[in-house]
Amino acid sequence: MRQPEHWGDGIVKTLGMTRAEVEAALARAGLDVPERERAEIAAAAHVIEEMAQRVRGKRAMGAEPAHIFPPPGA
Amino acid sequence: MVPDFLTIAEAGALIGKRELSPVELTESRLSRIERLDGKLHSFIRVLREPAVAAARVAEAEIMAGKRRGPLHGIPIGLKDIYETKGVPTTGHSKILIDHVPQQDATSVRRLTDAGAIVVGKLATHEFALGGPSFDLPWPPARNPWDTSRFTGGSSSGTGAAVAAGLVLGGTGSDTGGSIRGPAAFCGLAGLKPSYGRISRAGILPLAFSLDHAGPMAWTAEDCAIMLQAMAGPDPADPASADRPVPDYRAALSGDVKGLRIGLIRHFYENDNPADEATRQGIAAAVKVFEDLGCSVRELRLSPLAEWAACGVMIMLSEAYAIHQATLRERFGDYGEMFRDRMALAALVSAGDYVQAVRRRRELAAEFATAMADLDLAITAAAPGEAPAIDAVGKFSTFERPMLTMPFNVTGTPAMSVCCGYSAAGLPLAFQLAGKPFDELTVLRAAHTYEKATSWRSVRPRLDL
Repeated sequence: MRQPEHWGDGIVKTLGMTRAEVEAALARAGLDVPERERAEIAAAAHVIEEMAQRVRGKRAMGAEPAHIFPPPGA
Repeated sequence: MVPDFLTIAEAGALIGKRELSPVELTESRLSRIERLDGKLHSFIRVLREPAVAAARVAEAEIMAGKRRGPLHGIPIGLKDIYETKGVPTTGHSKILIDHVPQQDATSVRRLTDAGAIVVGKLATHEFALGGPSFDLPWPPARNPWDTSRFTGGSSSGTGAAVAAGLVLGGTGSDTGGSIRGPAAFCGLAGLKPSYGRISRAGILPLAFSLDHAGPMAWTAEDCAIMLQAMAGPDPADPASADRPVPDYRAALSGDVKGLRIGLIRHFYENDNPADEATRQGIAAAVKVFEDLGCSVRELRLSPLAEWAACGVMIMLSEAYAIHQATLRERFGDYGEMFRDRMALAALVSAGDYVQAVRRRRELAAEFATAMADLDLAITAAAPGEAPAIDAVGKFSTFERPMLTMPFNVTGTPAMSVCCGYSAAGLPLAFQLAGKPFDELTVLRAAHTYEKATSWRSVRPRLDL
């Protein structure tokens, strides 16, 4: 079966994590971040979001990652 | 009287002729460290007694006609992420302040087997990622050209110590530019070899798939001498490449005439604009290469932000995996710069990490295709002179796309080469990048450029 050329198009997240979303991510990660630093991390979150947007891109379903697993003895 | 500044090649030649004693050379560096490092902070730990003892052994061997090579009796420093048997290796962090390894990193063992004298462990940005932090057990290293300036990082201590002549060479590691950045700001030659060329075994990891170990020294020739000792297959590193190691130093004298060089101008003119002095320095370097018989043409790649995004997403994700448990338990024991950069990694999804790794394959293929009819690429190593140390922002690494990251993504060799000095007297640099495992051509071109220009004759004044 031929793969859709632009598989993954519809999954691009909207930019602009809210402070609450950042707080939730940090809490889920179990990080005990002081209040002042939480605010700075939230303010910088857009940098990561923009990078994530860039790497998502458009690629075929079967596009391989750079790292593959060489089984022992291969 | 031992000169304040010597290259490894110069000192090695004098030692070989028995005109310079390894003991005197080592003691002269230790005196210099004592005199100057109180303001440079390039060392975390000075190994005075072991260094003098090793120098005495080296001297005895050399006097007995058993000289091992050009590194025998040469004082070097190790970035404090290189593990050393019985000597604390901290990553410049409170987290590992009591970490005493049971054995040397493979590359450390190879350097000492070649006769190098380890005079101490050098400052780094915390775990090779944090910035110039003031909340760690040791202060950040200062730039010898102007101590109010940033050294670049993360191999900050190596940059400062070599530039100040406290050691003749040192080790760095480079995950996104941590050899080439401090080499650029401190005026050194710094080589990030191909991924797999130097074993990572025994070096504290930042990001497994992007980490490169490499030499930093005053000249390309010195980097070649250090690389010769450090390179080679190592079963202890699963990414180690089983490839022959050529004679790097012997090949330096080869001709560069006919080399084809691609100039990646858009990286430093549009994507991360360099200052005018840097642009002029690169333009002059291009002219030097053309006068030497190289052909230079424009090379256009994906925008720098694409390379940076790919590299940073992988770097943060892999580093986060390494520190995840400790961040949960001891968040406050990390420096603020490191821990908050790591906290950003908590925002990266597993899916986006894999997308970055898929993007890496695409970008590496793009570079390979672009280099098919070229031997080297040239671009800026840094956008300008070293900024003030207190002007480096917590997230600055991610806010402007790093000029060095593309060659971590490709895993191909790249080197920072000094191309002059700013109006303030601070070093400027360009970057030479080569094809996979072709460090030899990178080193030869850098060496030939250094010989054709006068920049290597300028040293920091150190009126501290």
